[in-house]
Amino acid sequence: MIKYLLKRIVNWMIMIVLATNLTYFLAWAYLKPRSNLDLRADQGKRIPPDQIDRMLDRYNLNDQVPIFTRWWTWTKDIVLRWNWGSSLEGEAVVHQVSYRIWVSMNLVLLATVLSTILGIALGVYTASRQYKLGDRIFQFLGIVTMNIPTPVAALLVVTGAIAINDAAGHRIFYVTGAFNQDVHGFLPSLIDRAQHIILPTLSLMIVGTAGTHFLQRTLLLDNIAADYVRTARAKGLKKAQAVRKHALRTSIIPVATSIAFSIPGMFTGTLMSEKIYGWNGMGAYMVDGLAKNNVHGVVACAAFGALMTAIGAILADLAVVWLDPRVRVS
Amino acid sequence: MTETPNTQVEIIEENAPLDDNSRQGATPVVVERPKTKRLGRSRVYARRFFRNTAAVIGLVIFVLLTIWSLVGKLFTKWGIADIDWDADPLSGPPSAAHFFGTKAGFDVYAQTVHGLSRSLIIGVTVSIASTLLAAFIGASAAYFGGWFEKVILWIIHFLLVIPGFLILALITNGNGGKITALIIAMVSLGWMYSARIIWSLSISIREREYVMAARYMGVSGWKTVWRHLIPNIGSLLVLQFALGIVSAIMSETGLSFLGFGIKPPDVSLGAMIGDGTNLVVSYPWAFYFPAGVLTALTISSAFVADGLRDALDPNSAAGGRA
Repeated sequence: MIKYLLKRIVNWMIMIVLATNLTYFLAWAYLKPRSNLDLRADQGKRIPPDQIDRMLDRYNLNDQVPIFTRWWTWTKDIVLRWNWGSSLEGEAVVHQVSYRIWVSMNLVLLATVLSTILGIALGVYTASRQYKLGDRIFQFLGIVTMNIPTPVAALLVVTGAIAINDAAGHRIFYVTGAFNQDVHGFLPSLIDRAQHIILPTLSLMIVGTAGTHFLQRTLLLDNIAADYVRTARAKGLKKAQAVRKHALRTSIIPVATSIAFSIPGMFTGTLMSEKIYGWNGMGAYMVDGLAKNNVHGVVACAAFGALMTAIGAILADLAVVWLDPRVRVS
Repeated sequence: MTETPNTQVEIIEENAPLDDNSRQGATPVVVERPKTKRLGRSRVYARRFFRNTAAVIGLVIFVLLTIWSLVGKLFTKWGIADIDWDADPLSGPPSAAHFFGTKAGFDVYAQTVHGLSRSLIIGVTVSIASTLLAAFIGASAAYFGGWFEKVILWIIHFLLVIPGFLILALITNGNGGKITALIIAMVSLGWMYSARIIWSLSISIREREYVMAARYMGVSGWKTVWRHLIPNIGSLLVLQFALGIVSAIMSETGLSFLGFGIKPPDVSLGAMIGDGTNLVVSYPWAFYFPAGVLTALTISSAFVADGLRDALDPNSAAGGRA
């Protein structure tokens, strides 16, 4: 089993490396750091070309240097010194990412885990009441929430939260930022973080839950009428027990594997949520980097996105190993 | 939820032809009930679809929105780039002159109608193109098998893992917000998921007798894929097309919202929502009208897709007995 997991981890590492390198070349095809300096006029004078070249060379951002030389320098720096390069302004990518990564990771993983749990619960609830009122209502709600555009959902959540704050008379929910600078102590800062993270997580969950719900419902319906569930019932298990211990156990496996593929969607949702909620995470860094031709920053964001997917996939693999005896044997 | 269908329809539907093979299987029903007229496949699908109230409402809204996007600009004299300097205030609430109000002198109604047509064009073209691409790639991977299948599946897997949205943003940003570039980029990064589904269904079709017959008759591989495999997953393609519209509209909205998709002077609903986000408290109409229209569009198409899924699925009982 350890061997199986190790194999998967190596597999994912290769994927991340490939995705990052692909983005590196694509980023160079579309982003032009030189244009930042070309347009920057100092007292009405343009910067002389050889000066521009020197400034670009300092950060390995010169597009006159052959792309493979640039790529080689960039790769060497990462492998040998874990230096992911800098922006034109000299901000090291590693430094920026070091605090932003936790902001975004919190958001993506919390939203993914919560919406998975809620989605599975809803799937089980609706599948055991197929075509009854409860099923119909959640089906309808699911289709509606799944198809609300993320920014619209987030704005609705914000408006609702502001209304609750006004009604309560003091701030229960914070609509901007990830945390307050002036809160100290473990418990106060935990509460403070929760007050900040609840709204973005909620808006990501609104859009993300229904997918898992529908998948779990369909899969469970395929299994609920299976012979082994009937056998379990005939042996005297209650319906709830038979569903939970027998039908759910087999039908949850594909759901677990699908979580890995739902993470890129979550990441996309985070980009929009970070803009709306004013979080300084990887999403904001990426949007900023694209606007300011920050090649190295954008590539680091791509690597982060791939890493998130890999973490999701490995967690899913662990869940599968735990759930599926066939995997444990081989 | 819906009225109980009469027994005649019921019996025929249970034996409704699912594909070319089972057509002969439906004959006994006709023998038992000589007066019954045999229903065509599309008639059965249409009846099942129109039984689903939510899907019908969705279809009506979708059609109305499409018509509105085509003729809506006739009702206003303002263009998307016109500034009404006489508007008082420059960002004013809805009035007789500006149905949806104004935002810094721009007519929100004109921009919303234009944005809606942009969303529809992008949604429909991207969905058609990526569904066809997915069908071709998925079906040929299933048919040819071997290393070809392995390579295709690996590519699909890889493309599903990379942060596609980031790369999409990179490409569209670099192309200066041209709609054709946006569509091409969205198609080339949007076909994988349906290709994977189509591949898994095509594997079972690959084993059918008519595919084998075609192979033994010496029909070339690509021709078999095009003539025998793809037509027999038609219903899945229709469904993927309907779902694709929604996801294409959503990702265009996301891109434009962040400022990478459609850029000024052109406008789209996503870009309007992006602008309106900061104005939601002071000028709510600049946000709520485009957001409402966009949400109506995505949700109505989703209900149409859901109705299609139930209508096309031979095992579904959702449309009938409820």
